[in-house]
Amino acid sequence: MSNVEQTAGTGTKAEIRAYVEENFLYMHPGMEVSDTDNLMALGVMDSLSFVELVEEVQERYGISVQDVEITEENFGSIGALAAYIEGKKA
Amino acid sequence: MCGIAGIVRPDGARPVEEIALRRMARAVRHRGPDGFGLALGQSAGFVSTRLAIFDIQHGWQPMQSDAGGTLIVYNGEVFNHPELRAELARDGINLETTSDTEVVLRLLERDGLAALDKLNGQFAFAWWEPGPRRLTLVRDRFGIHPLHWTLLDDGTIVFGSEAKALFASGEVAAEPDLGGIDDVFTTWAPRAPRSAFRGVNMLPPGELIVWEGGRIVAERTWWKPDYSPRTEEAGDIEPIMRSSVELRLRADVPVGTYLSGGLDSSLTTALAKEASDHQLRTFSVAFKDPHYDERAHQHEVAEKLGTDHHVVDVGPEEIAGAFPDVVWHAETPLIRTAPVPLYLLAKATREQGITVVATGEGADELYWGYDLFKEVVARNAAMANPDDAVEIFSELYPYFEATGAARGPAWAKFFLEAGPADDPLFSHQTRVAATAGVKAFYADDVTQLTAAEDRLGQLRGSLPPEFASWSPLEKAAYLEVTTLLGPYLLGPQSDRVAMAHGVEARYPFLDHRIFEHSVRLQPDGKLQGLHDKIAVRDLARTVLPDGIAARTKQPYRAPQAAPFFEGNPPEWVDELLSPGMLDATGLFDPAKVAGLVRRCRAGRATGYREGMALVGVLSTQVWHERFCGPHADVFPPEEGEPQVFIKQGIDQALERV
Repeated sequence: MSNVEQTAGTGTKAEIRAYVEENFLYMHPGMEVSDTDNLMALGVMDSLSFVELVEEVQERYGISVQDVEITEENFGSIGALAAYIEGKKA
Repeated sequence: MCGIAGIVRPDGARPVEEIALRRMARAVRHRGPDGFGLALGQSAGFVSTRLAIFDIQHGWQPMQSDAGGTLIVYNGEVFNHPELRAELARDGINLETTSDTEVVLRLLERDGLAALDKLNGQFAFAWWEPGPRRLTLVRDRFGIHPLHWTLLDDGTIVFGSEAKALFASGEVAAEPDLGGIDDVFTTWAPRAPRSAFRGVNMLPPGELIVWEGGRIVAERTWWKPDYSPRTEEAGDIEPIMRSSVELRLRADVPVGTYLSGGLDSSLTTALAKEASDHQLRTFSVAFKDPHYDERAHQHEVAEKLGTDHHVVDVGPEEIAGAFPDVVWHAETPLIRTAPVPLYLLAKATREQGITVVATGEGADELYWGYDLFKEVVARNAAMANPDDAVEIFSELYPYFEATGAARGPAWAKFFLEAGPADDPLFSHQTRVAATAGVKAFYADDVTQLTAAEDRLGQLRGSLPPEFASWSPLEKAAYLEVTTLLGPYLLGPQSDRVAMAHGVEARYPFLDHRIFEHSVRLQPDGKLQGLHDKIAVRDLARTVLPDGIAARTKQPYRAPQAAPFFEGNPPEWVDELLSPGMLDATGLFDPAKVAGLVRRCRAGRATGYREGMALVGVLSTQVWHERFCGPHADVFPPEEGEPQVFIKQGIDQALERV
C-alpha cells in the first residue's frame, strides 16, 4: 500500500468515525469503539439509524450503494465501511 | 359532552366529602365549561361538568331517574337518541327531558347492559344502582371518550374522565408507571388498561367494569373490532355514510367540520354540507412552514363546497408555547408535536362559537389508507420477489426523513429485515423499531426495568384467539385500531386537545355500522396495489372534484425539534432538559440527552428518529413536572352553586333496601 493510499484511507476512516460519533455515539457516553467493532452488535446503531448511515455515505461520497453490498463485511464497522468506500471510489 | 368523576366507598365506610368532588369537577371543568352538577350520598358521590349540546335547559347531570332511582354521570353523545326515545315511549316509558342522557339512563334501567348494543355514539359513563350499591363504568366502542379509575386499598373506587380528576380527589397519588411510559415509546401511547400513571387504569375501548362491595366483580368486553369472516354482503357505503354524517350533525348547537384538505375530511365536509340546515363552517390548521402546509388544498375544498372557512396559522412559536398545556391535557408523554396544532385549532373553533365538529378520523384504519397497509403488501410480496418490492418501499412514508439524502437500498432493507412474517405483530414491526429510538435515551436502570417487562410479548399475549385466522391486512387493521387509533389518535391527538377548549369532535367513519361495512367489504374494495380506500374514493367522486377524490394521503404532522430551539424558544426548554431536572425525573440519561440537545441546538437533529426522541424526552419532562413533581398542579374546588345538587336522593334507595 502506498503512502498516498494510506493517507486517503485514514481520511475516510476519520470522517466515518467523526460521523458515527457525532450522530450515534453520543447516545453511548463513555463507550470506546474501535475500527473493527461491530456497530449493530454494540447497539451503537439500530435499523433506522443504519438507513441514515447508508444515505449519508451515498450523499457524501457520491457513490451508489447496491443492495447486495449492504453486508456486515462492508458496513459492519467503521474500518469496514471506510475500506468499502475507498474501494467504490477507486 | 362533559367531564365526569366520582368516588364510591364500600357500604358503611367514611363519607365522600363534597369538597373533594368539587376539586374533581374543577380538574375536568375544561371538558364541560357550561356548568357543573353534584350528587352526594353517605358513601358515594358523583360530579359532572357539562358542555351543553342536547336539551340545553334540562339535560343537567348527575341525572337520577326518580328519587332513589339509578343515577348516571355521562360524557358523550348517543346520536340515535330520538329513535331510542320513541322505542321507550312505545313501552310506555315517557321521558322528562329531550336529552340523550335520560335515554341512556332509562334504557339501562329497562334492558340492563344489553342496552349498550343499541347505542350509536361516543360515550363514557358511570351508572350507579343504589339498591345493590353497584357501580358500572362503560366506555364506547372505539375509545373516543376517556375514562379512568382506580381501586383503593379500602375498596373505594375513584373514577374520572381524566386522570387528573383522580388526583384532585386527594386520594390518588400521581406517580409514573414505567410500563405505561414505555408503551408510548413502543406503540405511541399507553395501552389500556394501562395509563402513564401507576395504579391508574384507563378503561379499554368497548369494555365495562362492575364494582360492588369494594371490589371489581366483572370486567367485560361488550364490543371489539372483529375481523372474522362475514356471510353478508357489504353493500354500498353511501347510505350508511350519509346516515352516519346526518346522525353526527344532530345537536341543539351548530356543528362545523375540521378540514385537513385530504380525502376523508373533504368527504365528511361535503356530506355535512349537503345534510346541514345552516351555513357550514370549516376549520383548518395551516403551517407557516410550507413543508407541512396544506392550505391550498383546504381552500380548494372550502371554495368548492362554499363553506365559511377559518384557518389557524401555526408556526414554531405557537407549537412551543402551547406544548406544556397540551401535555397536561394529554396526560401522557408524547412522541409527536402533532396534537399541538389541533389544540390551537380547537381553541380557535371555540372562539368562533362552534362547540361541535365532525372530522375524517377513522377512514384510514377501516379502509386501509395508511402506508402501513401498503407496507404489509410489499413485505409479503418481497418474500416471493424482492426486486418488485424495493420500488414500492421507496414510495412509502415520505415523512420518514433520515438525513434528507436520497433513499438508498438500506431503506428497503429496513422493511425486509424488520421481522418474521409469522410474528403476529408483523405489520407493526417497523413502527416499533422506529419508535424505539427514544428508548436509547433511557437511564440505564430504566432500560433494564422496561426490558424485563417484554412490552411486545404483552401485546402479543393480548390478541384475541381468532386473530391468527385473519389475513395479514386484517391483522394490521386490528392492531392499528387497537394500538394507534384508540390510544393515540382519538386520545392525545383528538379528544384531549379538543376538550381542552370544550369542543366535541365527532367521527362519522367511526360509526359501528361503517366498521361493519369495512369488514364485510372485499379486500379489493379497500386496497388495490398502492391504491387505497377504494370505496371511500368512489363515494368521494360523487360529491367532490376528481382531483380531491384522488388525492394521495399527506400524513398530518408538525415540526418536531425545531420549535424548541430556533428563534426565541421558551426558557422552560433548557430548564427541563438540564441535568438536574433530568436526574430529578430519573427516566432519561442526562449525558445522552445533552448530546441530543446539542445537536438540536445546532440544527442537526432534523431526522425522524431524533425529532421523535426530543419530543419524547421533553414531553416526559413536562408531564412529570406538571403531574408528579413538587410543583404539580393542584386543583382548587369548583365554586358556586351546582346546576344540579342531588343530596338526599341517592341515599333514599339505601333506606328502602
